Amino acid sequence: MVHRKRAVLLAFFFSIVLTTGCSPFVENNTIEEIAPVTFWYVSSGGEGKLKISTLVPPLVKEKKRLLTLQVELVKQGIKQFNLINYRELKAGQTRMLLISEELAKQGVISLINTLLTDPELSQRLYLAVVRGNFEDYIRNQLNAQPSLDYFLYAMLKHYEKHYQGEMTIVNLHQFMKKLYSRFSDPILPVFKANKSSFTYEGTAFFRNDKLAATIKTMDDQLFQLFDNDYYVKILAMPALSVTIGRVRSTVHMELDANYSSLSIKIDLSGRIEEYRGEKNILYPEEVANLTNEIKSYLEKNTKALFKKMQQEKVDPLQVGNLSLHPFAKPLKKEEWSRYWQQMKINVDYQLHLQPLINIKK
Amino acid sequence: MATFASSSTYSGVYVVFMVNRLQILFTILILPMYLVHSYMIWGIIAIGILSQLNLLILSKWFSSDFAAKGYNGFVELFGERTVRLFVIAGLFPILLNIVVNTLGYVQMVHTFIFPSMDNKWLILSIFLVGCYVAAKGMANTIRFVMIAFLSGAWIILLFLPLFFPPEASLYDLYPLVPTDWSIGPWKSWLALWSSFSGPEYLICLTTWLSPQQKIRKYLTLANAITVFEYVYLFVASLLFFGPHYLNAINFPVVHMGRYLQSPVIERIDTILLSIHMFNYVFAIAILLLCFYGAVRIILGRLHKQTTRTGYVSACLVILICMFIVDKWFWNATARENFWVTLQMWLGAFTYSLIPVFLLLAIKRKGAV
Repeated sequence: MVHRKRAVLLAFFFSIVLTTGCSPFVENNTIEEIAPVTFWYVSSGGEGKLKISTLVPPLVKEKKRLLTLQVELVKQGIKQFNLINYRELKAGQTRMLLISEELAKQGVISLINTLLTDPELSQRLYLAVVRGNFEDYIRNQLNAQPSLDYFLYAMLKHYEKHYQGEMTIVNLHQFMKKLYSRFSDPILPVFKANKSSFTYEGTAFFRNDKLAATIKTMDDQLFQLFDNDYYVKILAMPALSVTIGRVRSTVHMELDANYSSLSIKIDLSGRIEEYRGEKNILYPEEVANLTNEIKSYLEKNTKALFKKMQQEKVDPLQVGNLSLHPFAKPLKKEEWSRYWQQMKINVDYQLHLQPLINIKK
Repeated sequence: MATFASSSTYSGVYVVFMVNRLQILFTILILPMYLVHSYMIWGIIAIGILSQLNLLILSKWFSSDFAAKGYNGFVELFGERTVRLFVIAGLFPILLNIVVNTLGYVQMVHTFIFPSMDNKWLILSIFLVGCYVAAKGMANTIRFVMIAFLSGAWIILLFLPLFFPPEASLYDLYPLVPTDWSIGPWKSWLALWSSFSGPEYLICLTTWLSPQQKIRKYLTLANAITVFEYVYLFVASLLFFGPHYLNAINFPVVHMGRYLQSPVIERIDTILLSIHMFNYVFAIAILLLCFYGAVRIILGRLHKQTTRTGYVSACLVILICMFIVDKWFWNATARENFWVTLQMWLGAFTYSLIPVFLLLAIKRKGAV
């Protein structure tokens, strides 16, 4: 009797629950039936529209296709992709967001906010700016390199691991943290795409959420020495016909009390790995000459790099943080920006270079 | 059902774990976003010391003769009619505590793990687990705190990498002192004080705790662990987000969990959030038993045998309350959520008042 009563009670109870709502699970995640997205490429589609593309299917061994849509909203695009593709797209595995340069210049905050509020997406999503026509590149390369989306991700992941200075790697969280912080401005890597190639170009500086300037080659290498892990594997200076390898930097920056000048002392250690110039570097005095040339060359370029940041009113190296003090009131963002633009920059390099050995001249 | 049988008493380590787990509940996941400024590190420590003083007062009650007698002790102090009035007044904070903590947790699970699932299912499942534990009786529920503590306390160790570069920079902690003459919004202080509340529920459990002089030591230890956890998580979230970004984030600690990565599985946060459920199950179970006990006192059935019908109807009342609050009154942003704020006020209120009130009552009785 008691048992029957209990059973009736239970059945009653569950029927209440079942009538109020339907089955608890409404999403179908059967792996054979879905297409997890690995990247989005977003560019501006004109008239305030967005153009988003992705490659499907990313996993299964089927012929890959590039899907492109013109939409007003990002999520609207994700919905419409399902209508033109026979597998449902799921965003949970998204690893990269590539943004076209034109769109980055207009501001990316609404785009990034959309991703940030999606708990399915990892905070470690890589962000990058693409210059040129990325869709063309994919269409052309699809036959030669079917899993190029995976290769791209693997490359970013590889260089991120130890921040080894080959290229700037930024994920969603780092971008947002810099965007929100009082003084610093976010950075993103820039890649250049055309029909046949996809190359790392340099680093983009953002002012708030808008792309302000891009630095390349020498500037970018110097930037790596100041940021990231204070290391570049190869510092090539074609102007002096010399390459320094395994370069480690120790950067010491100091602001003076009234924020009118910034003195930067950099200790660089590395080894000369290549020399194709005229000097006979078997002689110590010639090596000293070369070292001095390198020193002044680096100083000149570093000054120019900082000048560029000041002109663009960006502070990607977070120099403004130096004005913070445990027991003092922090500067306002505008105050710092004013100081920063007029700041005198003094650069002093200390080079510790191992000369080339075992060579014949 | 021998729900309230007190056959054995529990040693101090249970007191430590219980106080600690009752203090840390929903608040541990949202506290950093109320504090924001780095000088609130000192705020946590200051409030922790204040809470310690409060616990000293509470320990006076525990070392008095009245505590060991349990319900009869209260009756001796206040008289049966007054006790019943107090219990009626106590029903609401207990109910609110269960509702807010469960719904807060459910909301988090809904946001991060099952965004497409109906909230009712989540509420039902976590609450049923709580009911199951509580049905095992008070003695077993107290024993359950061991599981709740051991399964939850180590999680904070995972955040250790966030203290080091490249994720962290010391500049995010500067300035360390308030630089203008404000001490921050009142709400951060309220959130902070209420996040230390919870130990006052121990007065409902005195019969199960062995009467001892050393309880002061255990309360101190528990409070110290709580202070450490709060400071640790707050500093970690400051270093990870920086104060300005932290100000804009809704569930900072869960977001930190999302950033962790492991080579085996990708979304550690789902597992961490699920493990954190033990803590809630414990709290729900113990508060549920308090609620049930309180109802029995009010109905004057204290000396009768507990019945299954009585217990199930107590559970149903709470469940219905949760459904109602969830359906019509729950606001998704924790910052503006009326219920969370109300729970903070009430938690702060009960935590400040109950120890002092009991001490005064003992003093008065002693004088007579």
